[in-house]
Amino acid sequence: MADLLGFVLSGLVSGALYALLATGLVLSYSASGLFNFAHGATAYLCALAFYELHSGFGLPAVPTAVLLVCVLAPALGWGLDRLMFRKLARVGETAQIVATIGLLVALPALGLWTVELLADAGASVKPAENQFGLPGVGPSPAHSWQPVDGVGVDSDQLIIWAATAVVALGLWILMRHTPLGLQLRAAVDNRSLVELRGLSADRLSSIAWMLSSGLAGLAGVLATPLLGLSSHDFTLFLFVSATAAVLGRFVSVPLAFAGGLGLGVLQNLVAGYADFAERITGFRTAVPFLILFAGLLLLTRRRRTAGTAAVDPPPVDYLTGRSRLRRWGPWAVAAVLLAASFYTVTTPFWSGLLAQGLALSLVFMSFTVVTGLGAMVSLAQATFVTGAALVAGLLLSHGWPFVAAAAVGTCTAALLGALVALPALRLGGRSLALATLALAFLADQVLFQIGWLRNGDTGWAVPRPVLGPVDLGDDRALGVALTVLVAAAVAALSALRNSPSGRAMLAVRSAPAAAMASGVSVVRTKLVLFTLSAGLAGFGGVMYASYNTRVNATDFTAMTGLIWLAVVVAAGLRRPQFAVVAGLVYALVPHLLSDYVTESVHLPVILFGLAGLALANDPDGYCAAVPVRLQRRRLAGSGAGTPTATPAGEPPTALPGDTATGDTLPPDTTTAGTAVAGTATAGMTATAAGSTGVVAPAAETPTVVPGGTSPAHTGLTGAVPSEAGTTSAAPAGAGAAGAMSVEAVPGVGDGGQAGGAVGFGGRSFADALRLRGIRAGYGGAPVLRGVELAVRAGEILVLLGPNGAGKSTTCRVAAGLVSPLAGQVYVAGRDATRDGAVRRSRAGVVLAPEGRGIFPALTVEENLGLYLRGRDGRDARDAVYRRFPGLAGRRGVPAGALSGGEQQMLALAPLLQRPPKVLIADEPSLGLAPRVVEEVFRLLTELRDQGTALLLVEEKATEVLKVADSVAYLARGRVTWCGPRAAVEADRLTEAYLGLAATREGAARP
Amino acid sequence: MSRPTRTFAAAVAATALLLAAACNSASTGGASKTDDSVRGVTDTRIKVGGIVSMTTASGYSKKDTDLGAKARFDRANAEGGLHGRKIDYLGAEDDGQDPSRNLAAARKLVQQDKVFAIAPMSSTTFSGADFLQKQRVPTFGWGTLPSFCGPSYIYGFGGCMVPTPGGTISQTWPEGLEQVMGGAKGRSVAILANDSDAGKFGIRTYRQSFESAGFTVTYAKPSVSAASVPSDWSAYTKEILRSDGGKAPDAIVSVMQTPYNIGLFTAVKRTGYRGVLTDPTDYDPGLLAKSATRKALDGVHVLTSFQPFEQQSAAMTRFGKDIRKAAGKDVPLNMHMMTGYMSADLFLAIAGKAGKDLTVSSFQKAADGFADTGTLVGDRAERKGQKESFGCGALVQLKGGAYVVSAPFKCYPPIPFT
Repeated sequence: MADLLGFVLSGLVSGALYALLATGLVLSYSASGLFNFAHGATAYLCALAFYELHSGFGLPAVPTAVLLVCVLAPALGWGLDRLMFRKLARVGETAQIVATIGLLVALPALGLWTVELLADAGASVKPAENQFGLPGVGPSPAHSWQPVDGVGVDSDQLIIWAATAVVALGLWILMRHTPLGLQLRAAVDNRSLVELRGLSADRLSSIAWMLSSGLAGLAGVLATPLLGLSSHDFTLFLFVSATAAVLGRFVSVPLAFAGGLGLGVLQNLVAGYADFAERITGFRTAVPFLILFAGLLLLTRRRRTAGTAAVDPPPVDYLTGRSRLRRWGPWAVAAVLLAASFYTVTTPFWSGLLAQGLALSLVFMSFTVVTGLGAMVSLAQATFVTGAALVAGLLLSHGWPFVAAAAVGTCTAALLGALVALPALRLGGRSLALATLALAFLADQVLFQIGWLRNGDTGWAVPRPVLGPVDLGDDRALGVALTVLVAAAVAALSALRNSPSGRAMLAVRSAPAAAMASGVSVVRTKLVLFTLSAGLAGFGGVMYASYNTRVNATDFTAMTGLIWLAVVVAAGLRRPQFAVVAGLVYALVPHLLSDYVTESVHLPVILFGLAGLALANDPDGYCAAVPVRLQRRRLAGSGAGTPTATPAGEPPTALPGDTATGDTLPPDTTTAGTAVAGTATAGMTATAAGSTGVVAPAAETPTVVPGGTSPAHTGLTGAVPSEAGTTSAAPAGAGAAGAMSVEAVPGVGDGGQAGGAVGFGGRSFADALRLRGIRAGYGGAPVLRGVELAVRAGEILVLLGPNGAGKSTTCRVAAGLVSPLAGQVYVAGRDATRDGAVRRSRAGVVLAPEGRGIFPALTVEENLGLYLRGRDGRDARDAVYRRFPGLAGRRGVPAGALSGGEQQMLALAPLLQRPPKVLIADEPSLGLAPRVVEEVFRLLTELRDQGTALLLVEEKATEVLKVADSVAYLARGRVTWCGPRAAVEADRLTEAYLGLAATREGAARP
Repeated sequence: MSRPTRTFAAAVAATALLLAAACNSASTGGASKTDDSVRGVTDTRIKVGGIVSMTTASGYSKKDTDLGAKARFDRANAEGGLHGRKIDYLGAEDDGQDPSRNLAAARKLVQQDKVFAIAPMSSTTFSGADFLQKQRVPTFGWGTLPSFCGPSYIYGFGGCMVPTPGGTISQTWPEGLEQVMGGAKGRSVAILANDSDAGKFGIRTYRQSFESAGFTVTYAKPSVSAASVPSDWSAYTKEILRSDGGKAPDAIVSVMQTPYNIGLFTAVKRTGYRGVLTDPTDYDPGLLAKSATRKALDGVHVLTSFQPFEQQSAAMTRFGKDIRKAAGKDVPLNMHMMTGYMSADLFLAIAGKAGKDLTVSSFQKAADGFADTGTLVGDRAERKGQKESFGCGALVQLKGGAYVVSAPFKCYPPIPFT
């Protein structure tokens, strides 16, 4: 019993450290969606700093620890967030994983380098090597007690428990009982909605990273007496604590915390009672990784499209349309030059390095397959390399010929790959990466500890092959042979990528569901990718061992695999040639640096690590950085060309349609507009700016015809020229008359608007929200092509249109979620185009997004608290509960558990309490029962009556027209008609709704 | 065949052609294969380099090995060099315990710097061994790796310290412990190693070694997690402490590295254990600087395979003086310095015997039948040293913050390893 108690107690020590690290992981993950592999490195850095400040500079322990945990570590987290994590949150998951792996090696090297530099500068730092039994914050050596017979406890352990308990309590108070905690949790739940509520998600992300780094710092300082200054041990510790983060599904802090504690105890119990496994060498060593792997398999929620990184679209091919000569010529020349160089210019030393780099390239190309083609991050490639090389060595020692041994070794690696893939296939993204990492450690610690396979520390001799007349014993011959092999592999991989199976692989990568629907087996494709990649890695491993002429089980560890991945991805995964570049760089650069730059061994490590950081800017890797930029510039050039063509090209396409629907403008006006626009140097600017010229707006005019000038709608073609003139001059006056609720205001300067902003009776006559000439789109695909809209305080403007017309995009532009390519957004007459969602929301523009604008994981009370915050927030919430008794009864219930109608009420209720200036509601009735829809519309009218300007997007046209003050039709990214509700005609409605207008418009195009 | 494939096929064909042309010259290129290589030797100088793991992710460094070698070469040069040739010691390359960097370092020293010999080579990995053997580079280092046992150009400064089945095991440890404990009969020992293949091998070796010395081995298991130092030791100590029929054994023998030993000994002492503790790695006066390690290792008997610094002799005094001179200040002595110093010393001794006409062949010939006595590592003899250790050692005990010799330095006859 005392045993058990002892195991549990001491297990809680590492458990506490796991808990601290796991909590930090979860916090940072939820802040930016990336799993921070460098979290352990942060802890190490803090341990190092603590040691140098305390032991080196002689600062007192406790203040130093407080300074580190509360100031320096959070500052590091803040800096990293600003520099990289924030940007990384927007790139693919592979780049995220790799960038933090880069940090994992760079941070410790940076710390050691700093120490080295300080020592050179004569500071009183102490060497960081061979330091054992370091003092922590407590007494050193630690006091120990024996509370129960046979169970010892010492002061370091007590300090760890106490600190962890304090942190747990502090975190609980922070997360559950402070506004900041509420906001943090909300940001985890729904990041973009947080922005729409006027809270800066970036700021919250910074805070989460600061907290996370602070926790890592605390773990580092506390673990100093236990782990010493071994960055390796800190990183391993982190990988184990990842299990706890998995337990909390990367979002739940309490679960991760408890998981960490439990993990420590479980690990200790297994170590204490695992006598059964004594015969398996390495079993006890492997326990944490067994737990990690099992945890990942059991706890990761199965996704429908397993095995693929969640967000990892294949990059745009910058070589599209280039001739094959351009694509391949330079590489072929480089290969020939490289091969020739072996016998001409390179010295034996550099020949050897080049051969090494080429052998490594074969291994690196395996990443191009599994990660580049398959978007799966495998951290087990080193395992395949070691496995293949050991098997080949074993066979060679039995007198097998090289080719046969290499073939069997390669097949073994492929088999291992399939084995690793099988359980890993149901996982995706970071879970897959962690699972392969766990398997790699398991292989290191159990599989490669098998005596007959590894042959002790001696390993196996892998003599260089002699193939016919070619003796590869000479480095130069080996170099040329490897060049040929590498070229063949590059060609084969490129052919594979362009083959039908390669396209199937890409399809599985980018749209697994669609691929499945078109009969591509996702599982089989992934299995093939893994197997192929493992085989290639294995073959590379055999060649590398043959370069070494020997293989040892410890030559390539799981950690090596991590570094490899970082090096390859930093170079780029798009084309197999980049892997060759990575291999050569990896082999050559450290020597070039030490020859020409610095003797310090830390600098190359830092550089390799920071190459990962560069991924934040160039997710495609440095090989493609320049071409991609060039292509972007080219696109921008042609992009600038396209809009230049637009004013000339588009109005004519739009106009015949307008004529057909009755919105009129004679061809000559168009021609005039176009002609003038064309004469401007950049016609695009003229049109988009809208107000730069008198005539240019005229080209826009037909799209939106003011309600007040309704004659235009009656089809009086002849009146139009003057009409156009009126429009460009009239709106100010028309606005003042208050006759128009919606208007097009082309060509009116802000000055005129300012005049209109003078209001009376508490109501502003100014447009509460106005969009002018808005062009917007996603990734180069235009959606909005010059939208003109305005909505006044106390009015409801309903935006109708067929699917894909751009209604939601209009909402997102209005709310600041999407920034327009051209055009302006005015809020209460002020140009707010450059404001993001947060500032827009603070200015009183609130978007109720499509679906439900609530935080499902937060309670009703907390949801309300996020909008009704501030001093009188409680009173306001009470008022909401009085008004909606249904919500009052369920204030402690997570919002996600409410019915759809209740959720929509919850989203709107706080707005009623504090009416915003502008409410943009994107399909508020979606998926609601008719009775609830009525209620929702009633609430919206109530809001209008309180003075809110409403922009309402709806599909349920008939119902919504009852509450509308005015109506705008959106088709193909333009407002095709806009006017008061009274002017809406049934057939026009049908046309707008069904998109017939657009179709007819298209049909009339020739 | 698509066009890129064709382009590549052309490239491949071109390179294949080149390869075919190349292979004719291949056999003549590469390493100098002549028997009387004088690479790195001129009339006035002999170029020597070193490979040492200095920066590692585990924070373990053998950096001072470089200083030890420098100290020894400095003295040789001060004494007029080797038959009139000064030793041009290039300093040690850092391999960072990384196999690929170890090989690259060996290649750089041989192919780029053109050294005659490598001394010291001290790391946990030695993937450059095959290359150095093939290039006929005499290499001297710490013989704790299998590559020091067998290859004719690679020498361990204390001999080959990895027993091979059919070879012998050194008895210095059990013999020393016998002196400490006043006999082996009826004394029980528990042996603990890491849970890895190497640990398993260590257990196998030392179990035989201690048993044949007369100890009762009550526990011998490679059970401690090898990946990283455990923060909890109770799971491992529990079994050891009741292995002697429910009681604690008289001695606990740890075959692990320093950080493990510190954890293990702290945990064992916390339970009130009063027996003998011993390990082979913690003879490092640097450890005395920290109160925690001083406390953890207090009373521990540490095996050394060289004469302890505390045991005075003319050679030891000279060692201390040389180190001080090379470092430029007073530094605490440690075993890494000794490794470097004695690796250089063995090289100088054999090269001295080779005489004025120094070539690789004459060096190798001098090594055949080389023998001397009374050095800091005891009685040396080659080629015996490429099969087994010189078999000399001592135990030192940490007592009240200082090391004292508990079993004086002595050479013991080895036993056959089965």
